[in-house]
Order: sequence, then C-alpha cells, then structure tokens
Amino acid sequence: MAAFELPPWMALAPALTFALTALVLFVVDSIDPDSENRTLVAGTATLGSLAAAGFAVWYLFAGTGEEPIVLFGDALVVDSMSLFFAVVFASVTTLVCVASYDYMADHHYQGEFYALVMLAATGMTIMPSANSLAIVFVSLELSSLPSYALVAILKKNRGSVEAGLKYFLVGALSSAILVYGISLVYGVTGSLLLPEVASGIAGTELNGVLGVGMLMIIGGFAFKTASVPFHFWAPEAYEGAPAPVSAFLSSASKAAGFAVAFRVLTVGFPIQEVVVGATASVDWVLAAQILAVATMTLGNFAAATQDTVKRMLAYSSIGHAGYALIGLAALTGGNDQMVLGASMAHLLVYGFMNTGAFLFIALAEHWSVGRTFEDYNGLASQAPFACVAMTVFLFSLAGLPPFGGFLSKYLLFAGAIGAGFWWLAAVGAINSALSLYYYSRVVKAMWIEEPTGDFDIESRPVGIYAALAAAAIMTVLLLPGFGPVWEYATGAAAALGA
Amino acid sequence: MVPIEYYLLLSAAVFCIGVFGILTRRNALLFLMSVELLLNAANINLVAFSRFHGNLTGQTFSLFTLALAAAEVAIGIGIVLVLYRNFDDVDVTEATTMRW
Repeated sequence: MAAFELPPWMALAPALTFALTALVLFVVDSIDPDSENRTLVAGTATLGSLAAAGFAVWYLFAGTGEEPIVLFGDALVVDSMSLFFAVVFASVTTLVCVASYDYMADHHYQGEFYALVMLAATGMTIMPSANSLAIVFVSLELSSLPSYALVAILKKNRGSVEAGLKYFLVGALSSAILVYGISLVYGVTGSLLLPEVASGIAGTELNGVLGVGMLMIIGGFAFKTASVPFHFWAPEAYEGAPAPVSAFLSSASKAAGFAVAFRVLTVGFPIQEVVVGATASVDWVLAAQILAVATMTLGNFAAATQDTVKRMLAYSSIGHAGYALIGLAALTGGNDQMVLGASMAHLLVYGFMNTGAFLFIALAEHWSVGRTFEDYNGLASQAPFACVAMTVFLFSLAGLPPFGGFLSKYLLFAGAIGAGFWWLAAVGAINSALSLYYYSRVVKAMWIEEPTGDFDIESRPVGIYAALAAAAIMTVLLLPGFGPVWEYATGAAAALGA
Repeated sequence: MVPIEYYLLLSAAVFCIGVFGILTRRNALLFLMSVELLLNAANINLVAFSRFHGNLTGQTFSLFTLALAAAEVAIGIGIVLVLYRNFDDVDVTEATTMRW
C-alpha cells in the first residue's frame, strides 16, 4: 500500500503531463519567439514525455488501475488497459522527440513542432480512457488535428503539403462519419456513456439504425488505425511527412485507434448481447474479421510491390494493423483474453520496432541517401551500427525468432487458433511469410550489395542515433522481458471484461 | 410536435448532399463546406434525439461538435493555404507528386 494517497484525478497524470508540457513549450516559445535554441524545446518535450512514461509505468507497477478509477461523471476511466497504452504512447513520443532534435534542426518553428507533438500525445493518452462516446470523439480529434499540421509542417516541401492535404481530407471525412454514427447510436440508446449504451442496446428493437451507427463508428476507428477501408491516406501521409512524424503516426496514433476501438466495442457493444446473444443485432466481430483479412492482405501485397523504402514501411504498417485487428476478429471463440492481450502486446512491441524503422529512414534522409531500395546499397559499410539496428527492426517486424516481434505475433496467431479461427492465423502466417521477402530486400541492399554511389556521410547525429539505439535495445529486450509485458497485456484485456 | 422520423430524413438528406459534394468537388474549399454539412447532419440528429429522449446529453454534445468543426476548419484552411502557395491552385487533384 502506498504511504500516501494521491487524489483520484492524479490517475490522469500521463495525459496531464503531456498537456502541461505543451503549454510550457508555448510559454517558452512566446517569451523568445525568434530563438533558435532547439536544445531547450526538444529537451523540454523529451523530459515531458519521459515524465509521462514514468507516471504510467509507476502506476502500472503500483497497481493503480487494478480497481478502475472512474472520473468526471463516468466519462473517463483509468484502468490497467489505459495505463498500458499510456506506456506505449509515452515511449514512442520520447523516441520521436529525441530523434526530431537532429531531423528538424533546420526548421524555423521549433516550439510549435514539439508543442503539436505533445498535444497529439495528450489526445492519444486520453483515448484509451474514454468511457463516453463524447470523449471518444473529442480525444480522437485532439490527436488528429495536431497530426494534420505535423504532417504538413514542412511548408515549402510539396510532398509534405500534399501528404498533409490528403491526410486531412480523409480524416475530416471519417471524423464526420464517426460523429454521425455516434449520433445514431445516441438516438437508439439515449446515452453516450459506454455502459449505458450497452444497457440501452439490450432492450432496443431499432437494430437497423443501431447497425448503421455501429458500422460508421467502426469506420472512424478504421481511419485512425489505417485499416481498410480508410487506409488510403496512410501511404501518402507516411511518405510525405517528416520521418519522425511518420514514426509517431504509424506507431502511437495507430495504437491509440486500436485502444479506443477495443474499449468502445467490448464495453459499449458487449459481445454477449450484440453478437452472440438471443437478441443479437449486429455482428461486429464478423466486420472485424473481414477488415482484418482485407487489411493484412492488401497491406502486405502492396508493400511487396514498392520501390521506395519509406512507402514500403507505410504499407507494412497497414499490414500490421491487420494483425492487430485479429485481437477483435477472434473474439467470441472462448479465448478472448488471450487474443485481446496478444493484440495489445503486439501494439507495444510494434511501437518500438516500427518507430525504430522509421527513425532509420529519418537518418537516411538526414544524410540525403536516396529513397529507393537501390540507394541503400552498401550502406552498412558506412554506417554499420545504424544498419544493425535497422536489421533488428526489420526482422522483428517480420516476426523472426530472436526478437520481440516473434513472440507477440506467435501469441496472436496461437490465440486465434485457440479460439477456433485457424483461417485467420493461416492468412496471418502467409502474409508474414510474404513480409519477410520485402523486409529482406532492405537488409540485402544494406549488407550484401555493393555501393552504387558515394555516400556523403559527414555527421553522426547524436539524437537519431540515441533514439535508434534505445528502440533497438527495447526490441531485443522484449524477447526475454516478454513475461511481464504479457502479464500486463492480459491484465489490460481482463480490464475490458474479456 | 414533428415526429422524429422527419428529423432523421432531413439529417440523412443533408448527410448525402455532403457526401455527394465530397465525391464530386475538386475545390478544397468546397470540400471543407461539404464536411461542414456532414457534421451538421450529425448535429440535427443529436438535437432531435436529445428532445426525443428528454435528456440534454445530445444537445451538449452538439456544442462540442460545433467547436471541433471550427477547429478542424481552422487547420483545414491552413493546409489549403500552403497548398495554394506550393501548387498555385486549390484543386485537390492537382497535388500528385506521389501517386494515390
């Protein structure tokens, strides 16, 4: 038992820390707007995200969320699931802030960049805590709106502006669809609080309206997680955005979308009543199965045909959204806690390995190495350390044994088989085998091919190297250290009643 | 009192006009206006259902939606501005340095 009691609202400390850091950054920036002191702003942002990570890890270890803490008239709930995801977001944000120190060195608006990252992280950290559809919408927008600006932040770079435009167009459309879906669900149930939505569904006969509303809400989540059918923005946004922002979006933003989808679907539309019960109305598990198979297949096949490494990673990120969707698709099989937990554990491991891979792209862009696979030929002879790290990330993404990605993917597929959905696991395994092909292309280019041109590598950016090293160490350590992660992930799944 | 179905029909019509605008218009500003239509279709629903259920949740949430719509347009106009500076046009199909 703790020696002192914190007030209940302190359970939101990770999100509050991010919000406070954003405000501090605005103050620092407005005191001296023309300052180019990027050490100060990047340092503040890094310290803020480390503090948020510290709070989240401390709360997890102290068992804060084991008894769910309900705040603001049931609108927010802090339990082991929301704290688990807070750890993911805070770790990714820290890596991104450290790497941006070098990548954004020539950028004029330092304070704004880090403040936007902090605001987006605030929204993401609130998303898993949302216990009301109103909070779902507000926090989802709080993480989306700064992200649009972050993608388009290189104002004179046509690729960045185009990426921001496309991200914004699809995002605005899908958030409108989400809020329309919420309005329909509210019409059926008369409440926006997830537990009351669940009890409202139990006695309703308006299954048509409810089904349309639920599908629209799932569409809104599909945008956030870059799943089919709202995945179009992802390759463009990830390719055009500054690489650290791509890392941030493809890891943290995706995990946030899954976190909020897990809670809304399992708590608000409980499986017993909505999917398998006597008055079963809308089978969202079937929708998740279709989306999972389509997302996995489309992402991996499209990734295999790409010429540029960054775009290949963007499509592979869509493929990984498909794997994580298995966590929802294999429910109702009697193995719910394992598949949901495996999906959460995969999102944690993915947070490190995918962020690392995009940060390697950031390093390559910093050195003005080209964009295609051929441009990476022989890079290992010039930068062996960074290439070792990239190899670790790629093999972990493919799910090869000595790295963290292996266990999470193995448990995901094993969980699906245990739930009786062997075909989901089979599709996943085939796609994983295909993914090994295109990940190896990068490894082959870096280590085996002869250099086609001279690299102009003069600097060794400390920030990007530090972030790469940290991400690589975490990716490797997550194999022996998978036990506790698995424990907390299944605990988080249990918090959702699975 | 007007039956609830009429409000649903109105909001569905507004929603469809918005979707039609998004699918057919190439001007980024018209796209933003269409998104406003979509969001306001949801607002009609929320206010009508709020009266139907006799609680204020929906009306309050529609205020949230209005505020967020304004914030979204602010970001959108900013992106349209840099789009115009880089491509000398606000046609969303002009920006094709990457393939879709």
